[in-house]
Amino acid sequence: MSSVNGALPTTIIVAGLALAGCALLMTALNRRMGGGLLAALGVLEILLLVLVGMIVAKLADGGRPASLPTLIGYLIAIPLVPLIAGLWGAMERSRWGPAVIAVAGLVAAVLMVRLHEIWPVIHV
Amino acid sequence: MSEPTAAPDTTASAAPAARTGPGRLLIAVYALFALSATARAGVQIATKFSHAPVAYLLSAFAAVVYILATVTLANGSRTARRIAVLSCSVEFVGVVAIGTWSVLDPATFPDATVWSGYGSGYGFVPLVLPIFGLLWLRRLHRRESTRDAPDGELPTVRGAMSADGRHR
Repeated sequence: MSSVNGALPTTIIVAGLALAGCALLMTALNRRMGGGLLAALGVLEILLLVLVGMIVAKLADGGRPASLPTLIGYLIAIPLVPLIAGLWGAMERSRWGPAVIAVAGLVAAVLMVRLHEIWPVIHV
Repeated sequence: MSEPTAAPDTTASAAPAARTGPGRLLIAVYALFALSATARAGVQIATKFSHAPVAYLLSAFAAVVYILATVTLANGSRTARRIAVLSCSVEFVGVVAIGTWSVLDPATFPDATVWSGYGSGYGFVPLVLPIFGLLWLRRLHRRESTRDAPDGELPTVRGAMSADGRHR
């Protein structure tokens, strides 16, 4: 594997933005958290875990980014984003629960761009 | 754990009320910035401090302010909210001051901090976040003033204003 396939980070950006859009719509329509939103968050989590696996494989192959500590920090933080947002948002029984999920979707998309800046072999 | 609903007339104590509704979103975003600012400052200071000492020390200062705001907003007690008002104010002054400094004297900031360029590297969220934080804290304060009114009645407009005036 010479580089991390660009399809996955791009998929994560699209999925994150779509999730954020749906969640913000729910906030605007005064809807509470539902199973659908949590399921979508679960899909995002799986996509992020696969990406982390691919990046770890790239590191195992001997590739190194300019700042290894930064990348390792990202690899630890990335899978935690949907997890913590899901727990924190599910505790809320108002329209602001979906708003927390929207933040997670936006953050996932932004993290893909940052990953590319940290290590350009991770294509977007 | 049982969370009260976000209804403004909740009879629960003020602390959980600070963690529900818009407060839940605010705490989430503050926690995000606390984490990212701390991690960024930590890596910068540990690996290349001499490259831009002023920028990195300001990154660390911003990280401390974000941590303080996150913890005090989540705590929600009267004292914690007073500290939260202070940290949100410092945060706003910091974003404006550091933003202006970084625009006028870019040589001091060869590497970006959370607050340089008025938080442009973070979609200007650092600039608007303290404003929403202060608005939320003011709303919590007013809600509590309403609840603590004698005889459980709504205070007069004059009473509400003086309660707010004392706070400022």
